[in-house]
Amino acid sequence: MKRISSLSFFAVILLLLSSSVTFAQVQARVRIIEASNEGFAVDPILRDVHSQLGSLFSFTSYRLLKDANLGLVGNRPVEVPVRPGKSVEVTLIGEYKNLVELRIRIKREGVSVLSTHVRLTSERTILIGGPRQGEGTLIFAISARF
Amino acid sequence: MKESCSGELLERFFDGEVTEGERSLVEGHLSYCRTCQHALKSMEGLRHLIKAPVDEVDEKENLYWVWQRIEREIQSREKPPWKEIVWHWLDVTSMLRKRVWVPAAAAIVAILLALAPSLLKKTPSSSDLSVVEYVESQSYNVMVYESEKENVTVIWLLESPEMEGAPQS
Amino acid sequence: MERDEAELISRCQKGNQEALKQIFDLYNKKVYRIAYGVLRHREEALDIVQEVFIKLFRSIKNFKGESRLSTYLYRMAVNTAIDHMRKIRKPALSSLEGEEGFQPAEGPEKGPDRIFLYKELEEKVNEALGKIPADQRMALVLREVEGLSYQEIADSMKCSIGTVMSRLHYGRKKMQDLLKGYVTQETEE
Repeated sequence: MKRISSLSFFAVILLLLSSSVTFAQVQARVRIIEASNEGFAVDPILRDVHSQLGSLFSFTSYRLLKDANLGLVGNRPVEVPVRPGKSVEVTLIGEYKNLVELRIRIKREGVSVLSTHVRLTSERTILIGGPRQGEGTLIFAISARF
Repeated sequence: MKESCSGELLERFFDGEVTEGERSLVEGHLSYCRTCQHALKSMEGLRHLIKAPVDEVDEKENLYWVWQRIEREIQSREKPPWKEIVWHWLDVTSMLRKRVWVPAAAAIVAILLALAPSLLKKTPSSSDLSVVEYVESQSYNVMVYESEKENVTVIWLLESPEMEGAPQS
Repeated sequence: MERDEAELISRCQKGNQEALKQIFDLYNKKVYRIAYGVLRHREEALDIVQEVFIKLFRSIKNFKGESRLSTYLYRMAVNTAIDHMRKIRKPALSSLEGEEGFQPAEGPEKGPDRIFLYKELEEKVNEALGKIPADQRMALVLREVEGLSYQEIADSMKCSIGTVMSRLHYGRKKMQDLLKGYVTQETEE
Protein backbone atom coordinates (compact mmCIF):
# COMPACT_ATOMS: atom_id res chain seq x y z
CA MET A 1 0.00 0.00 0.00
CA LYS A 2 2.77 2.38 0.94
CA ARG A 3 4.67 1.49 -2.24
CA ILE A 4 1.65 2.30 -4.39
CA SER A 5 0.99 5.58 -2.62
CA SER A 6 4.65 6.67 -2.97
CA LEU A 7 4.65 5.85 -6.67
CA SER A 8 1.38 7.67 -7.11
CA PHE A 9 2.88 10.66 -5.36
CA PHE A 10 5.82 10.72 -7.79
CA ALA A 11 3.45 10.57 -10.74
CA VAL A 12 1.26 13.38 -9.44
CA ILE A 13 4.28 15.63 -8.72
CA LEU A 14 5.57 15.14 -12.26
CA LEU A 15 2.20 15.88 -13.79
CA LEU A 16 1.92 19.06 -11.79
CA LEU A 17 5.44 20.17 -12.69
CA SER A 18 4.83 19.54 -16.37
CA SER A 19 2.07 22.00 -16.58
CA SER A 20 2.97 25.60 -17.32
CA VAL A 21 -0.33 26.72 -15.88
CA THR A 22 -0.49 27.16 -12.11
CA PHE A 23 -3.58 26.65 -9.98
CA ALA A 24 -3.29 29.89 -8.06
CA GLN A 25 -6.42 31.99 -8.41
CA VAL A 26 -6.17 35.11 -10.48
CA GLN A 27 -8.16 38.17 -9.50
CA ALA A 28 -9.38 40.46 -12.23
CA ARG A 29 -10.84 43.84 -11.51
CA VAL A 30 -13.40 45.10 -13.99
CA ARG A 31 -14.53 48.69 -13.69
CA ILE A 32 -17.23 49.95 -15.98
CA ILE A 33 -17.02 53.67 -16.43
CA GLU A 34 -19.37 56.09 -18.13
CA ALA A 35 -17.39 58.88 -19.73
CA SER A 36 -19.08 61.98 -21.05
CA ASN A 37 -18.83 65.69 -21.56
CA GLU A 38 -21.84 66.32 -19.35
CA GLY A 39 -20.55 68.17 -16.30
CA PHE A 40 -17.15 68.02 -14.64
CA ALA A 41 -17.56 65.35 -12.02
CA VAL A 42 -14.98 62.62 -11.54
CA ASP A 43 -15.96 59.71 -9.34
CA PRO A 44 -13.44 59.66 -6.44
CA ILE A 45 -13.17 55.89 -6.68
CA LEU A 46 -11.54 56.40 -10.09
CA ARG A 47 -8.78 58.47 -8.57
CA ASP A 48 -6.14 55.83 -9.21
CA VAL A 49 -6.88 55.70 -12.96
CA HIS A 50 -7.89 59.31 -13.43
CA SER A 51 -4.46 60.43 -14.55
CA GLN A 52 -4.49 57.69 -17.18
CA LEU A 53 -8.00 58.57 -18.34
CA GLY A 54 -7.24 62.28 -18.36
CA SER A 55 -4.12 61.92 -20.48
CA LEU A 56 -5.75 59.57 -22.95
CA PHE A 57 -9.27 60.93 -23.39
CA SER A 58 -10.88 64.31 -23.72
CA PHE A 59 -13.97 63.61 -21.60
CA THR A 60 -14.74 65.93 -18.71
CA SER A 61 -16.76 63.59 -16.55
CA TYR A 62 -16.18 59.99 -15.41
CA ARG A 63 -18.72 58.05 -13.43
CA LEU A 64 -18.18 54.55 -12.11
CA LEU A 65 -21.13 52.33 -13.01
CA LYS A 66 -19.79 49.09 -11.69
CA ASP A 67 -16.73 47.79 -9.89
CA ALA A 68 -16.36 44.02 -9.87
CA ASN A 69 -13.58 41.84 -8.48
CA LEU A 70 -13.61 38.48 -10.23
CA GLY A 71 -11.89 35.31 -9.09
CA LEU A 72 -10.82 33.62 -12.30
CA VAL A 73 -10.16 29.94 -12.76
CA GLY A 74 -8.72 28.52 -15.96
CA ASN A 75 -11.09 28.45 -18.94
CA ARG A 76 -14.20 29.31 -16.95
CA PRO A 77 -15.84 32.47 -18.26
CA VAL A 78 -17.15 34.98 -15.75
CA GLU A 79 -19.78 37.40 -16.95
CA VAL A 80 -20.40 40.86 -15.54
CA PRO A 81 -23.71 42.44 -16.51
CA VAL A 82 -23.51 46.09 -17.51
CA ARG A 83 -27.05 47.00 -18.46
CA PRO A 84 -29.96 44.83 -19.58
CA GLY A 85 -28.73 43.11 -22.68
CA LYS A 86 -25.11 44.23 -22.26
CA SER A 87 -22.34 42.39 -20.49
CA VAL A 88 -18.60 41.84 -20.39
CA GLU A 89 -17.18 38.34 -20.13
CA VAL A 90 -13.67 37.56 -18.85
CA THR A 91 -11.98 34.16 -19.12
CA LEU A 92 -8.58 33.16 -17.81
CA ILE A 93 -6.78 31.48 -20.69
CA GLY A 94 -3.30 31.18 -19.25
CA GLU A 95 -1.28 32.14 -16.23
CA TYR A 96 2.48 32.45 -16.15
CA LYS A 97 4.99 33.65 -13.62
CA ASN A 98 4.72 37.31 -14.57
CA LEU A 99 1.64 37.64 -16.75
CA VAL A 100 -1.81 36.30 -17.41
CA GLU A 101 -3.73 35.76 -20.62
CA LEU A 102 -7.33 36.80 -20.64
CA ARG A 103 -10.07 36.53 -23.22
CA ILE A 104 -12.43 39.47 -22.96
CA ARG A 105 -15.74 39.68 -24.77
CA ILE A 106 -18.15 42.56 -24.86
CA LYS A 107 -21.62 41.23 -25.53
CA ARG A 108 -24.85 42.80 -26.65
CA GLU A 109 -28.04 40.72 -26.52
CA GLY A 110 -25.87 37.63 -26.06
CA VAL A 111 -23.86 38.30 -29.23
CA SER A 112 -20.19 39.18 -29.00
CA VAL A 113 -19.51 42.66 -30.43
CA LEU A 114 -15.86 42.50 -29.48
CA SER A 115 -13.58 39.61 -28.66
CA THR A 116 -9.95 40.05 -27.67
CA HIS A 117 -7.08 38.07 -26.21
CA VAL A 118 -4.78 40.13 -24.04
CA ARG A 119 -1.69 39.50 -21.96
CA LEU A 120 -1.47 41.50 -18.76
CA THR A 121 1.21 41.98 -16.18
CA SER A 122 0.08 43.03 -12.73
CA GLU A 123 1.01 46.66 -13.54
CA ARG A 124 -0.91 46.99 -16.79
CA THR A 125 -4.49 48.06 -17.28
CA ILE A 126 -6.48 47.51 -20.42
CA LEU A 127 -9.13 50.06 -21.36
CA ILE A 128 -11.79 49.04 -23.85
CA GLY A 129 -14.02 51.86 -24.92
CA GLY A 130 -16.33 53.24 -27.49
CA PRO A 131 -19.78 51.69 -27.03
CA ARG A 132 -22.34 54.43 -26.58
CA GLN A 133 -24.29 54.65 -23.34
CA GLY A 134 -26.95 57.36 -23.55
CA GLU A 135 -25.13 60.69 -23.70
CA GLY A 136 -21.87 59.07 -22.72
CA THR A 137 -19.42 56.41 -23.74
CA LEU A 138 -18.63 53.22 -21.90
CA ILE A 139 -15.06 52.41 -20.91
CA PHE A 140 -14.16 49.04 -19.43
CA ALA A 141 -11.01 49.17 -17.28
CA ILE A 142 -9.60 45.70 -16.67
CA SER A 143 -6.56 44.80 -14.60
CA ALA A 144 -5.31 41.63 -12.97
CA ARG A 145 -3.70 40.62 -9.68
CA PHE A 146 -1.89 37.35 -9.32
CA MET B 1 -32.45 77.61 29.81
CA LYS B 2 -29.00 78.89 29.09
CA GLU B 3 -27.25 75.61 29.76
CA SER B 4 -29.06 73.98 26.83
CA CYS B 5 -27.42 76.44 24.49
CA SER B 6 -24.09 74.96 25.47
CA GLY B 7 -22.24 73.48 22.51
CA GLU B 8 -20.93 70.69 24.72
CA LEU B 9 -24.37 69.44 25.73
CA LEU B 10 -25.65 69.68 22.18
CA GLU B 11 -22.68 67.70 20.90
CA ARG B 12 -23.20 65.02 23.51
CA PHE B 13 -26.88 64.93 22.56
CA PHE B 14 -25.91 64.58 18.91
CA ASP B 15 -23.57 61.71 19.81
CA GLY B 16 -26.16 60.00 22.01
CA GLU B 17 -24.03 60.46 25.13
CA VAL B 18 -26.63 62.13 27.35
CA THR B 19 -28.77 60.99 30.25
CA GLU B 20 -32.55 60.80 29.89
CA GLY B 21 -32.90 64.04 31.77
CA GLU B 22 -30.39 65.84 29.58
CA ARG B 23 -32.09 64.46 26.46
CA SER B 24 -35.48 65.86 27.48
CA LEU B 25 -33.86 69.19 28.32
CA VAL B 26 -32.18 69.48 24.93
CA GLU B 27 -35.22 68.28 22.97
CA GLY B 28 -37.35 70.83 24.72
CA HIS B 29 -34.82 73.54 23.96
CA LEU B 30 -34.51 72.55 20.32
CA SER B 31 -38.23 73.02 19.82
CA TYR B 32 -37.71 76.79 19.89
CA CYS B 33 -33.99 77.61 19.59
CA ARG B 34 -33.09 78.32 15.97
CA THR B 35 -29.37 78.61 16.72
CA CYS B 36 -29.17 75.14 18.20
CA GLN B 37 -31.36 73.70 15.44
CA HIS B 38 -28.95 75.13 12.89
CA ALA B 39 -25.91 73.85 14.79
CA LEU B 40 -27.45 70.37 14.97
CA LYS B 41 -28.23 70.38 11.25
CA SER B 42 -24.68 71.45 10.57
CA MET B 43 -23.31 68.51 12.55
CA GLU B 44 -25.67 66.13 10.77
CA GLY B 45 -24.50 67.47 7.43
CA LEU B 46 -20.87 67.03 8.35
CA ARG B 47 -21.49 63.49 9.57
CA HIS B 48 -23.12 62.61 6.28
CA LEU B 49 -20.23 64.06 4.29
CA ILE B 50 -17.66 62.09 6.27
CA LYS B 51 -19.64 58.84 6.37
CA ALA B 52 -21.36 58.55 2.97
CA PRO B 53 -18.25 58.00 0.80
CA VAL B 54 -17.07 55.28 3.19
CA ASP B 55 -20.46 53.53 3.01
CA GLU B 56 -20.34 53.74 -0.78
CA VAL B 57 -16.90 52.20 -1.05
CA ASP B 58 -17.60 49.62 1.64
CA GLU B 59 -20.64 48.34 -0.25
CA LYS B 60 -18.61 47.57 -3.34
CA GLU B 61 -15.57 46.09 -1.67
CA ASN B 62 -14.99 42.36 -1.21
CA LEU B 63 -11.96 41.70 0.93
CA TYR B 64 -11.67 37.95 0.40
CA TRP B 65 -8.57 38.37 -1.75
CA VAL B 66 -6.99 40.40 1.08
CA TRP B 67 -7.44 37.34 3.26
CA GLN B 68 -5.58 35.28 0.66
CA ARG B 69 -2.67 37.71 0.83
CA ILE B 70 -2.68 37.54 4.64
CA GLU B 71 -2.71 33.76 4.56
CA ARG B 72 0.17 33.64 2.08
CA GLU B 73 2.17 36.09 4.17
CA ILE B 74 1.65 34.10 7.37
CA GLN B 75 2.39 30.79 5.72
CA SER B 76 5.51 32.03 4.00
CA ARG B 77 6.97 32.92 7.38
CA GLU B 78 6.02 29.71 9.10
CA LYS B 79 6.40 26.97 6.53
CA PRO B 80 9.25 24.46 7.09
CA PRO B 81 11.50 23.93 4.07
CA TRP B 82 9.56 22.10 1.40
CA LYS B 83 12.22 19.45 1.10
CA GLU B 84 11.61 18.47 4.69
CA ILE B 85 7.88 18.16 4.10
CA VAL B 86 8.30 16.04 0.99
CA TRP B 87 10.99 13.84 2.52
CA HIS B 88 9.02 13.24 5.66
CA TRP B 89 5.87 12.38 3.77
CA LEU B 90 7.51 10.10 1.30
CA ASP B 91 9.60 8.21 3.80
CA VAL B 92 11.74 7.22 0.84
CA THR B 93 14.39 5.41 2.88
CA SER B 94 12.10 2.53 3.73
CA MET B 95 11.13 2.23 0.11
CA LEU B 96 14.76 2.11 -1.02
CA ARG B 97 15.44 -0.77 1.30
CA LYS B 98 12.95 -2.83 -0.65
CA ARG B 99 13.30 -3.87 -4.23
CA VAL B 100 10.75 -1.49 -5.66
CA TRP B 101 13.09 1.06 -7.08
CA VAL B 102 13.47 -0.64 -10.43
CA PRO B 103 9.79 -0.57 -11.45
CA ALA B 104 9.45 2.90 -9.84
CA ALA B 105 12.35 4.26 -11.88
CA ALA B 106 10.89 2.70 -15.02
CA ALA B 107 7.52 4.32 -14.34
CA ILE B 108 9.16 7.74 -13.82
CA VAL B 109 11.14 7.50 -17.05
CA ALA B 110 8.00 6.53 -18.98
CA ILE B 111 6.10 9.50 -17.57
CA LEU B 112 8.99 11.87 -18.32
CA LEU B 113 9.15 10.73 -21.93
CA ALA B 114 5.42 11.25 -22.32
CA LEU B 115 5.56 14.73 -20.80
CA ALA B 116 8.82 15.92 -22.40
CA PRO B 117 7.18 18.18 -25.01
CA SER B 118 5.19 20.14 -22.42
CA LEU B 119 8.08 20.21 -19.94
CA LEU B 120 10.28 21.83 -22.54
CA LYS B 121 7.65 24.38 -23.54
CA LYS B 122 8.98 27.88 -23.11
CA THR B 123 7.18 30.16 -20.76
CA PRO B 124 6.54 33.48 -22.43
CA SER B 125 8.12 36.53 -20.92
CA SER B 126 6.28 39.80 -20.77
CA SER B 127 8.88 41.64 -22.84
CA ASP B 128 8.59 39.26 -25.81
CA LEU B 129 4.93 39.77 -26.41
CA SER B 130 2.52 42.50 -27.27
CA VAL B 131 -0.37 43.05 -24.90
CA VAL B 132 -3.12 42.43 -27.45
CA GLU B 133 -2.71 39.07 -29.10
CA TYR B 134 -5.78 39.43 -31.24
CA VAL B 135 -8.91 41.52 -31.45
CA GLU B 136 -12.03 40.92 -33.48
CA SER B 137 -15.25 42.78 -33.96
CA GLN B 138 -18.02 42.33 -36.50
CA SER B 139 -19.78 45.55 -35.48
CA TYR B 140 -16.99 48.11 -35.10
CA ASN B 141 -13.71 49.29 -36.50
CA VAL B 142 -11.06 48.78 -33.86
CA MET B 143 -8.08 50.86 -32.90
CA VAL B 144 -5.38 49.62 -30.50
CA TYR B 145 -3.11 52.03 -28.71
CA GLU B 146 -0.36 51.13 -26.21
CA SER B 147 0.90 53.73 -23.80
CA GLU B 148 4.11 52.70 -22.09
CA LYS B 149 4.12 55.83 -19.94
CA GLU B 150 0.72 55.17 -18.39
CA ASN B 151 1.11 51.36 -18.44
CA VAL B 152 -2.18 51.21 -20.26
CA THR B 153 -3.39 49.61 -23.47
CA VAL B 154 -6.47 51.04 -25.12
CA ILE B 155 -8.79 49.18 -27.45
CA TRP B 156 -11.18 51.68 -28.95
CA LEU B 157 -14.27 50.71 -30.91
CA LEU B 158 -15.12 53.12 -33.67
CA GLU B 159 -18.56 53.59 -35.10
CA SER B 160 -17.19 56.02 -37.63
CA PRO B 161 -13.63 56.90 -38.68
CA GLU B 162 -13.41 59.74 -36.15
CA MET B 163 -15.30 59.54 -32.93
CA GLU B 164 -15.79 62.10 -30.14
CA GLY B 165 -13.53 61.40 -27.20
CA ALA B 166 -11.29 58.93 -29.02
CA PRO B 167 -7.83 58.63 -27.40
CA GLN B 168 -5.51 61.51 -28.02
CA SER B 169 -2.28 60.16 -29.50
CA MET C 1 -15.80 38.86 27.25
CA GLU C 2 -18.16 36.56 25.38
CA ARG C 3 -17.29 32.88 25.65
CA ASP C 4 -17.30 32.45 21.86
CA GLU C 5 -14.90 35.34 21.47
CA ALA C 6 -12.65 34.00 24.24
CA GLU C 7 -12.57 30.60 22.56
CA LEU C 8 -11.76 32.18 19.20
CA ILE C 9 -8.92 34.19 20.71
CA SER C 10 -7.56 31.15 22.50
CA ARG C 11 -7.47 29.14 19.27
CA CYS C 12 -5.80 32.03 17.48
CA GLN C 13 -3.20 32.30 20.23
CA LYS C 14 -2.33 28.66 19.58
CA GLY C 15 -1.59 29.53 15.96
CA ASN C 16 -4.87 28.33 14.49
CA GLN C 17 -5.29 30.12 11.17
CA GLU C 18 -8.91 29.12 10.83
CA ALA C 19 -9.60 31.07 14.00
CA LEU C 20 -7.83 34.07 12.49
CA LYS C 21 -9.97 33.68 9.37
CA GLN C 22 -13.08 33.80 11.51
CA ILE C 23 -11.83 36.95 13.22
CA PHE C 24 -11.05 38.38 9.79
CA ASP C 25 -14.59 37.61 8.60
CA LEU C 26 -16.04 39.36 11.64
CA TYR C 27 -13.94 42.50 11.59
CA ASN C 28 -12.38 43.08 8.17
CA LYS C 29 -15.02 45.55 7.06
CA LYS C 30 -14.81 47.56 10.27
CA VAL C 31 -11.04 47.88 9.93
CA TYR C 32 -11.40 48.79 6.25
CA ARG C 33 -13.97 51.46 7.01
CA ILE C 34 -11.71 53.06 9.61
CA ALA C 35 -8.68 52.94 7.32
CA TYR C 36 -10.60 54.29 4.34
CA GLY C 37 -12.34 56.91 6.46
CA VAL C 38 -8.97 58.28 7.55
CA LEU C 39 -6.89 57.79 4.42
CA ARG C 40 -9.57 58.13 1.72
CA HIS C 41 -7.45 55.96 -0.53
CA ARG C 42 -8.62 52.47 -1.47
CA GLU C 43 -5.27 50.80 -2.02
CA GLU C 44 -3.75 52.22 1.14
CA ALA C 45 -6.80 51.25 3.15
CA LEU C 46 -6.54 47.68 1.86
CA ASP C 47 -2.86 47.61 2.81
CA ILE C 48 -3.83 48.71 6.31
CA VAL C 49 -6.35 45.87 6.58
CA GLN C 50 -3.72 43.35 5.55
CA GLU C 51 -1.16 44.80 7.96
CA VAL C 52 -3.57 44.88 10.89
CA PHE C 53 -4.55 41.22 10.64
CA ILE C 54 -0.98 40.05 10.17
CA LYS C 55 0.02 42.11 13.23
CA LEU C 56 -2.91 40.62 15.12
CA PHE C 57 -1.80 37.08 14.38
CA ARG C 58 1.70 37.85 15.57
CA SER C 59 0.75 39.81 18.67
CA ILE C 60 -2.34 37.99 19.88
CA LYS C 61 -0.28 35.88 22.26
CA ASN C 62 0.15 39.08 24.29
CA PHE C 63 -3.58 39.78 24.38
CA LYS C 64 -4.73 39.24 27.94
CA GLY C 65 -8.45 39.82 27.42
CA GLU C 66 -8.58 43.01 29.45
CA SER C 67 -10.50 44.68 26.66
CA ARG C 68 -12.79 43.38 23.98
CA LEU C 69 -11.25 42.00 20.81
CA SER C 70 -12.96 44.73 18.81
CA THR C 71 -11.28 47.41 20.93
CA TYR C 72 -7.91 45.69 20.49
CA LEU C 73 -8.44 45.64 16.74
CA TYR C 74 -9.64 49.23 16.57
CA ARG C 75 -6.55 50.30 18.49
CA MET C 76 -4.34 48.42 16.08
CA ALA C 77 -6.17 49.94 13.11
CA VAL C 78 -5.85 53.44 14.57
CA ASN C 79 -2.12 53.07 15.27
CA THR C 80 -1.39 51.46 11.91
CA ALA C 81 -3.29 54.16 10.02
CA ILE C 82 -1.57 56.95 11.96
CA ASP C 83 1.86 55.35 11.38
CA HIS C 84 1.03 55.08 7.72
CA MET C 85 0.02 58.74 7.55
CA ARG C 86 3.30 59.76 9.16
CA LYS C 87 5.34 57.50 6.89
CA ILE C 88 3.92 58.82 3.66
CA ARG C 89 4.24 62.41 4.94
CA LYS C 90 1.26 63.76 3.22
CA PRO C 91 -2.13 64.74 4.58
CA ALA C 92 -3.29 61.31 3.31
CA LEU C 93 -6.08 62.92 1.41
CA SER C 94 -4.68 64.44 -1.73
CA SER C 95 -6.66 66.51 -4.11
CA LEU C 96 -6.34 65.58 -7.76
CA GLU C 97 -4.95 68.98 -8.71
CA GLY C 98 -1.28 68.93 -9.50
CA GLU C 99 -1.19 65.22 -10.42
CA GLU C 100 0.50 64.53 -13.72
CA GLY C 101 -1.95 64.11 -16.55
CA PHE C 102 -4.83 65.74 -14.73
CA GLN C 103 -6.64 68.28 -16.84
CA PRO C 104 -8.63 70.47 -14.44
CA ALA C 105 -12.11 70.96 -15.74
CA GLU C 106 -13.01 74.54 -16.44
CA GLY C 107 -16.29 75.49 -14.92
CA PRO C 108 -18.12 78.48 -13.51
CA GLU C 109 -16.70 80.28 -10.48
CA LYS C 110 -17.23 78.24 -7.32
CA GLY C 111 -18.79 79.78 -4.22
CA PRO C 112 -20.77 78.72 -1.18
CA ASP C 113 -24.00 79.85 -2.72
CA ARG C 114 -23.56 77.60 -5.77
CA ILE C 115 -25.06 74.12 -5.77
CA PHE C 116 -22.09 71.71 -5.89
CA LEU C 117 -21.98 68.44 -7.63
CA TYR C 118 -21.76 65.85 -4.85
CA LYS C 119 -18.43 64.49 -6.02
CA GLU C 120 -16.78 67.89 -6.04
CA LEU C 121 -18.07 68.46 -2.53
CA GLU C 122 -16.58 65.16 -1.47
CA GLU C 123 -13.20 66.37 -2.74
CA LYS C 124 -13.59 69.45 -0.55
CA VAL C 125 -14.36 67.26 2.45
CA ASN C 126 -11.32 65.10 1.79
CA GLU C 127 -9.16 68.20 1.53
CA ALA C 128 -10.56 69.55 4.80
CA LEU C 129 -9.99 66.23 6.59
CA GLY C 130 -6.40 66.38 5.43
CA LYS C 131 -5.94 69.75 7.09
CA ILE C 132 -7.03 68.84 10.61
CA PRO C 133 -4.64 67.13 13.06
CA ALA C 134 -4.42 63.33 12.83
CA ASP C 135 -5.88 62.67 16.27
CA GLN C 136 -8.92 64.86 15.57
CA ARG C 137 -9.37 63.18 12.19
CA MET C 138 -9.16 59.76 13.82
CA ALA C 139 -11.66 60.65 16.54
CA LEU C 140 -14.07 62.01 13.91
CA VAL C 141 -13.79 58.89 11.77
CA LEU C 142 -14.33 56.54 14.71
CA ARG C 143 -17.38 58.52 15.78
CA GLU C 144 -18.98 59.52 12.49
CA VAL C 145 -18.11 56.49 10.37
CA GLU C 146 -18.18 53.68 12.89
CA GLY C 147 -20.48 55.21 15.49
CA LEU C 148 -18.25 54.25 18.39
CA SER C 149 -19.17 55.60 21.82
CA TYR C 150 -16.88 58.04 23.61
CA GLN C 151 -15.66 55.22 25.85
CA GLU C 152 -14.88 52.98 22.87
CA ILE C 153 -13.03 55.81 21.13
CA ALA C 154 -11.09 56.52 24.35
CA ASP C 155 -10.11 52.83 24.61
CA SER C 156 -9.10 52.68 20.96
CA MET C 157 -7.04 55.86 21.10
CA LYS C 158 -5.74 55.25 24.62
CA CYS C 159 -6.88 58.55 25.98
CA SER C 160 -9.53 59.90 28.34
CA ILE C 161 -13.17 60.56 27.46
CA GLY C 162 -12.52 64.25 28.02
CA THR C 163 -9.78 64.16 25.41
CA VAL C 164 -12.12 62.39 22.99
CA MET C 165 -14.76 65.06 23.45
CA SER C 166 -12.19 67.79 22.97
CA ARG C 167 -10.84 66.20 19.78
CA LEU C 168 -14.35 65.76 18.40
CA HIS C 169 -15.30 69.30 19.29
CA TYR C 170 -12.24 70.95 17.73
CA GLY C 171 -12.27 68.58 14.78
CA ARG C 172 -15.89 69.41 13.98
CA LYS C 173 -15.31 73.10 14.48
CA LYS C 174 -12.33 73.15 12.15
CA MET C 175 -14.18 71.07 9.53
CA GLN C 176 -17.14 73.40 9.66
CA ASP C 177 -14.87 76.42 9.25
CA LEU C 178 -13.11 74.83 6.30
CA LEU C 179 -16.39 73.83 4.72
CA LYS C 180 -18.21 77.05 5.57
CA GLY C 181 -21.46 77.20 3.66
CA TYR C 182 -21.08 73.78 2.05
CA VAL C 183 -22.32 71.78 5.02
CA THR C 184 -25.55 73.71 5.35
CA GLN C 185 -25.94 73.55 1.56
CA GLU C 186 -25.65 69.76 1.73
CA THR C 187 -28.30 69.41 4.43
CA GLU C 188 -30.66 71.64 2.54
CA GLU C 189 -30.53 69.48 -0.62
